[in-house]
Amino acid sequence: MELTHPPFGRENTYAALFVGSASVSMGIEVTVLLAGEGIYVGLKGQNDPQGRINLPSTEKQVRDFMELGGRVVVEQQSLEDRGIAAGELIEGLEILDSSTIADLMLDKGDHIMVF
Amino acid sequence: MVAEARKKGTLALVLFSAPYGNQYANHVCNIADRALGMGYNVEIFLYGDAVHAHLTEQKPKNFVNIGETLARLADRGAAVYSCLICAIARGYIRDYDEGRKVYNSPITPPFVKYVTVQGFVNMIKKADRIMMFGSS
Repeated sequence: MELTHPPFGRENTYAALFVGSASVSMGIEVTVLLAGEGIYVGLKGQNDPQGRINLPSTEKQVRDFMELGGRVVVEQQSLEDRGIAAGELIEGLEILDSSTIADLMLDKGDHIMVF
Repeated sequence: MVAEARKKGTLALVLFSAPYGNQYANHVCNIADRALGMGYNVEIFLYGDAVHAHLTEQKPKNFVNIGETLARLADRGAAVYSCLICAIARGYIRDYDEGRKVYNSPITPPFVKYVTVQGFVNMIKKADRIMMFGSS
C-alpha cells in the first residue's frame, strides 16, 4: 500500500492504515510505503494537545500496524527532498531507495493500492 | 458467459471519492462496463466518500447519473459493495444492530451490499486485477 498524503486533512491515510491493519490481522503480508507527502505519516511525536485536529492519531495507527506484523518502508529521496532526518521517524520504519522499492513492488506486490 | 468470466478472472474496482466533484466515479463505471463486456467478473467497492455514489434519488442535471449507472452494472452482473463503517459515518445506516448484523437503510438501493473492512480485504485477496481511483 502506498501512502502519498500527509497524516491529516484528508481521510486517505486513516483509511489506508485501517485496511492495512485489518489485512495483517487476517494473516496477509502487508507493506506500507510512505512516499511523497506521505513521509510525514512516519514522523514521530505527533500530537494534538489542544484537540484542534480531533482526528485519530496516524502515528498510533502506524505503531499498531507494525505491532501486528506489518512492514513500513519510507522512500529515501522523499525524505531528502523535504529535509527530514532518519532520527525524526517512528522507530522501526525502514528507509529504502527508489530502486529497491521498485524491486520490492515487483517482487512482493501482488496487489498494490495507492491512497 | 460464466466460462468467459472464469477465463478473464475478477477485476476489483475501488472508488475512493464521491460522484460529480471529479470524474473518478465515471472512470470506474466506464471500466466496469467495458470489463463486463470482455467477460470479466467485476466487483466494485465504494470506500470513504464513494459511498455517496449509491445514494438513491440522485438527480444530476448535466452529468451521468452514477446511481443509475451502478444499478445497470449490477443488473449485468457486477457486484457493488459499500464500506459499512463509512456508510454509518455518513448517515446511510439507521437502526444498526451490530450483534445481529441487521440494519435499515432506506436511502441505499437493494443491489448494494455493505461489507466490513474484512470483507473488503477478502475481495482484494481473491481479485486477479485491481484498479483504484479517487485517491486525490
